[in-house]
Amino acid sequence: MAFTLRSVKVPPNSASLEEARHRVFDFFRAACRSIPTVMDIYNLDDVVTKSHLRSAISAEIRKNLHVTNPKVIDMLLFKGMEELNNIREHAKQRHHIIGQYVVGNHGLVQDLGAKEKDMSDFLKSFYKSNYF
Amino acid sequence: MGLGLLASRALRPAASRLLRYPPRHGLARAIGSTPERQSPEASAAQAQPDPAPELPPRKPVAGARVHLPNPEDAIEVFVDGYPVKIPKGMTVLQACEVAGVDIPRFCYHNRLSIAGNCRMCLVEVEKSPKPVASCAMPALPGMKIKTDTPIAKKAREGVMEFLLMNHPLDCPICDQGGECDLQDQSMAFGSDRGRFTEVKRSVVDKNLGPLVKTVMTRCIQCTRCVRFATEIAGVQDLGVLGRGSGEEIGTYVEKLMTSELSGNVIDICPVGALTSKPFAFKARNWELKGTETIDVTDAVGSNIRIDSRGPEVLRILPRLNEDINEEWISDKTRFCYDGLKRQRLNDPMIRGADGRFQAVSWHDALAMVGEVIHKVGPEEIVGVAGKLSDAESMMALKDFLNRMGSNNVMCEGNGKHPNADLRSGYIMNTGIAGLEKADVFLLVGTQPRVEAAMVNARIRKTVRATHAKVGYIGPPTDSNYDHEHLGTGPQTLTELAEGRHPFCSTLKNAKNPAIIVGAGLFEREDSDAIFSAIETIAKNGNVVRPDWNGYNVLLLHAAQAAALDLGLVPQSPDSIKSAKFVYLMGADDINLKDIPDDAFVVYQGHHGDQSVYRANVILPASAFSEKEGTYENTEGCIQQTLPAVPTVGDARDDWKIVRALSEVAGVQLPYDSVGGIRSRIWTVAPNLVSVDEREPTTFSTTTMRPNTNQKISPNDFGMAVENFYMTDAITRASKIMAQCSAMLLKK
Ligand code: SF4
Ligand code: FES
Repeated sequence: MAFTLRSVKVPPNSASLEEARHRVFDFFRAACRSIPTVMDIYNLDDVVTKSHLRSAISAEIRKNLHVTNPKVIDMLLFKGMEELNNIREHAKQRHHIIGQYVVGNHGLVQDLGAKEKDMSDFLKSFYKSNYF
Repeated sequence: MGLGLLASRALRPAASRLLRYPPRHGLARAIGSTPERQSPEASAAQAQPDPAPELPPRKPVAGARVHLPNPEDAIEVFVDGYPVKIPKGMTVLQACEVAGVDIPRFCYHNRLSIAGNCRMCLVEVEKSPKPVASCAMPALPGMKIKTDTPIAKKAREGVMEFLLMNHPLDCPICDQGGECDLQDQSMAFGSDRGRFTEVKRSVVDKNLGPLVKTVMTRCIQCTRCVRFATEIAGVQDLGVLGRGSGEEIGTYVEKLMTSELSGNVIDICPVGALTSKPFAFKARNWELKGTETIDVTDAVGSNIRIDSRGPEVLRILPRLNEDINEEWISDKTRFCYDGLKRQRLNDPMIRGADGRFQAVSWHDALAMVGEVIHKVGPEEIVGVAGKLSDAESMMALKDFLNRMGSNNVMCEGNGKHPNADLRSGYIMNTGIAGLEKADVFLLVGTQPRVEAAMVNARIRKTVRATHAKVGYIGPPTDSNYDHEHLGTGPQTLTELAEGRHPFCSTLKNAKNPAIIVGAGLFEREDSDAIFSAIETIAKNGNVVRPDWNGYNVLLLHAAQAAALDLGLVPQSPDSIKSAKFVYLMGADDINLKDIPDDAFVVYQGHHGDQSVYRANVILPASAFSEKEGTYENTEGCIQQTLPAVPTVGDARDDWKIVRALSEVAGVQLPYDSVGGIRSRIWTVAPNLVSVDEREPTTFSTTTMRPNTNQKISPNDFGMAVENFYMTDAITRASKIMAQCSAMLLKK
């Protein structure tokens, strides 16, 4: 199977932070360009909009805002590229995409977390198990 | 019997003697015997010049204590040269026990009559020509008993050889293996081979019903089971047939053993002839983990040991407690455990609009209950604790509902207007062991045989030992001791209260009369009037005196006494008929028709029993084998269960559920741990915190109870327990109990 985007050989390490930064932008653009295809193959039109997916991608990138080491950025880019490839090659299924990028990682537990704040320790452990 | 002790005692002297006499190889050696055992007299003579025994004083076996009623009656005997003082009338075997020497035995059992037919307990007594059977021989002053001599050893070896002659080599497939007296004692005292070469005899197995499995070829005719059945259980079902090598144990005719104590023959059978049918081939006893806990299937609180492997309860055995169950337990206690595996509730569930239950998370279930409880008025909230509830959960339930503004918390079985103010009005004041001192019993509306089998065994023991008289008022019943059926209903009671009945004089002339009232009477509409009639009888018969309180209430359920101690008394007796929110904490025997159709019912419990059909929300709880809980038995003794196995599924302990719910409902209870809840209990009923103690009552009821203007209704007393084998959620779920009631109760 042709993993199109990765078939270009692994680029040499970024020489500077500046170069790494540019690569990030390139990656972002590549990802954005695949959004229509992705929405198409995973049938996402009725659950999400293009702009939502775009902001989901940028949010994933912004998670690593604090990283300044170009080597680490290269590694993260590589992982991002791999993920993008997998998505484009339909190596994932619809619920993976919805779970990770549409609803978000905390989708299902989010509201519980808000309530848990004013719960006693007793109740918290009660929900977990009988033995505490 | 301590095998290690036996073995070491058997081996030590032999080894030292072997060192003294180098082995004589040339000698023709008889099978399985050390040389000096062939001519015990000679070697005994050789061994004589041993210096005076420098035996250290030994501790009595199993910490046995001798109680010398009057010191003049004490006699002194010498066991292996060590002097002991014992009361007159003790047997040689008991004297040895006091001296710390455990004599091997098969037929002797200290709660049964002496049979003296196995001969395993032979010891040597100086100046007696032959070894004597110590279990049957009374100790005489100055007797010199020798338990360790070659003669005694040879005698035991011989008995062992004869016993094994006809005993099959079943140990690898025998359920008794590992806890078999014959196995242990043949290791300690037997010879290494036998001289018997012919075929072993075989005996047809008997069918004793769904509980006791028989492999009669293994029987060694010790007759312990026969004596147990006739003496303790009071059924003449077992007996000895035939003589000599044709001797067999059996029921004389094709008949099942119909006793509520039949399971105990499994424990007393020293070999694997009688074993537990449900436990057959399930496990080996050394794989099991024992947990010492108590039974909750009736109000006696028998002490039991739960044997479990992993998450499974595999069997239940009795534990010695002289004050409560001696060393017996009823069949219900022993065999109800398979009910713990069936019909269990393991997830919180909410009944949907379509009437089906749907499993939800604890969070959702509690949120729903917490929401609904705020939508009804405080007086429309009713809580009912079930018959298996522990004190902790009842305390939490009462506190929770009180905080919600409701005062309608009750415990099933305690009736509409229980009298919780006077403790002596609802417990057994004499105590279970104290019943042995009574000489006249008056049973009012109670059938102890089905309500509390262990109490019944006590009464039977007393009747047998002292010929105490028993008068009984209630429906005709099948009792296993002589009793006088005085009448079936309250008229007889009134006659007794007014002194018109002939039994009155028996009661008056008695030294220690005991009245036992069944808790089934709590449920009657006229209970107050009945109890005041009983108190009149008690007063006339001088039943309650400073030195003797013979007024007893025999409760039916494990939770009842603690519920009354904690004051679980409904404010308005009929509150359940107008309730909008009903909290059933394991209550399965209330009349579900009383609950209005629009009421929201929460069922918290461990079994999918009757109440589940009416419930809107199910909160799964843990059963008595899975939690630590405090129970008070019918004589007011506080005991605790200990968790033997983990809880099933997503279940939680009862009090934790109530505590969590209280927080969700916004009225958080102030305790987070068992310790916390116990200190709360301490402020309400301090006696419930002192575990393993029995708090005697201080007041006598006869003067304190308020007068009532109720009329006694002429309706006869009913049966409180219809089916002995199925009385609660656990026993109703048990397959073995269902078999028992199908086979043993059919008329
Ligand atoms: S069945 Fe067991 S208890 Fe009964 S006589 Fe035989 S060996 Fe003894
Ligand atoms: S124990 Fe003494 S004869 Fe059996």
